[in-house]
Amino acid sequence: MEFAEPFPDHSFLRRMRVKSGPIGIASVALFALVLAPSIAVAQAPQKAPAVINPPPTAQDWADIAKLPDWSGVWNPKISDQDAQVKTNPPPWNEAAAKKIQQMFAEEKAGRPTLIFANCLPEAHPSWMLVTHNAMEILFTPGRVTMLGESDGNRIRRIYTDGRGHPETSDPTFHGHSIGHWEGDTLVVDTTDIVPEAPLAVSEAAGLPNNGDMHVIERIHLADKDILHDDLEIVAPNILTKPWKTTRIFFRQRARKFDIVEGVCATGDLVERVNAEGDHVFVPVQKSEWGHTTAVPAK
Amino acid sequence: MRHVLKSIGAFATLAIVGGGISQVAAHHSAAMFDFSKSQTLKGKIVEMRWVNPHVTITVTGSPSADEAPADWLIETTSPGNLVRAGGWRRDAVKPGDEVEVTFHPEREAGKKSGLLMELKAVSSGEVFTANIRDQEKPGLE
Repeated sequence: MEFAEPFPDHSFLRRMRVKSGPIGIASVALFALVLAPSIAVAQAPQKAPAVINPPPTAQDWADIAKLPDWSGVWNPKISDQDAQVKTNPPPWNEAAAKKIQQMFAEEKAGRPTLIFANCLPEAHPSWMLVTHNAMEILFTPGRVTMLGESDGNRIRRIYTDGRGHPETSDPTFHGHSIGHWEGDTLVVDTTDIVPEAPLAVSEAAGLPNNGDMHVIERIHLADKDILHDDLEIVAPNILTKPWKTTRIFFRQRARKFDIVEGVCATGDLVERVNAEGDHVFVPVQKSEWGHTTAVPAK
Repeated sequence: MRHVLKSIGAFATLAIVGGGISQVAAHHSAAMFDFSKSQTLKGKIVEMRWVNPHVTITVTGSPSADEAPADWLIETTSPGNLVRAGGWRRDAVKPGDEVEVTFHPEREAGKKSGLLMELKAVSSGEVFTANIRDQEKPGLE
């Protein structure tokens, strides 16, 4: 016989499951009816079994070698980002379109809206859409990891171990990404992105996605050193229909272009030596549009 | 209108709530600069801040004979992008180096700042561009 919840992991109850015959069944039933409820009250609530990520095997590592070569440093084709602002605008809903037009007007007037303030990540998918910085892509068993240049928090973890999205949403800037390979194409499905994350078409035009955003990507080499990210962005609270766009990245291998640590917050600071001889960071002045307007003298 | 617009973006709202309008490091648009104009300034390097997301270079000099020398604050792209744009290094210029900087000035008259187009080191003649869109091809060396 099988016990239903709430005793999924109780060891002595588990042992009873193997009993058979009328006496065994009757005694288990009696126990369940009379004694077990009181024990259950006394016991701490039982946790669901832990899901263990298995250690990778030699075969898992060997399988990595069969994947396409995405090593090197990938840089965004910014001129194509620029062009798509006009050639492939998102299907904004009426309210969103009005706000975006206001942002374009403000930018044209020299008062660009600060979409990416406070060094918060551009977030997904805007990192892929409008970044001006390089990234690298790492393959390990069960994972693809994207590391961005501009700050340490530009990172995407894409699980390729067959898991699904979590039952309980835990929204993050880059969302929860699961991926699988279809030939040499990595197909990525991302949900659970914070509603504040902007859907941006430039550094001065973008709107919070306002929740329920879902992004599907097909990432693949379009040429030896050209990577395409074909995105389909579903953002029902600001778009009238899914938006499709391809973002282009090109590869560098020269070592001098290796990505070095970037810390966005240092953009607010300058290195100085204080009266005690300590090396410290002190603030610079910034404008409301984000550019530096004054640096304190040494 | 501007504040209404800024309240649209939750990130921008944080900037306002979080203590006024200063010190919000960001990847920002360069629309505060006038792309229809360029100026050249001859002077000496005071300091280069080799920082993300935007490097700044302070140059003391004058863009014309009838202007008194002063400190000019020239902003540009990130260190990584400058390296790719061509030849830049953290020590590409040092305090005291004589340079010529060409830049788009701020739209607002009287501001001694701009967006870098290129920098020429006078002693070596080496020219460092800041235009990352000119380097959009793989396999650079």
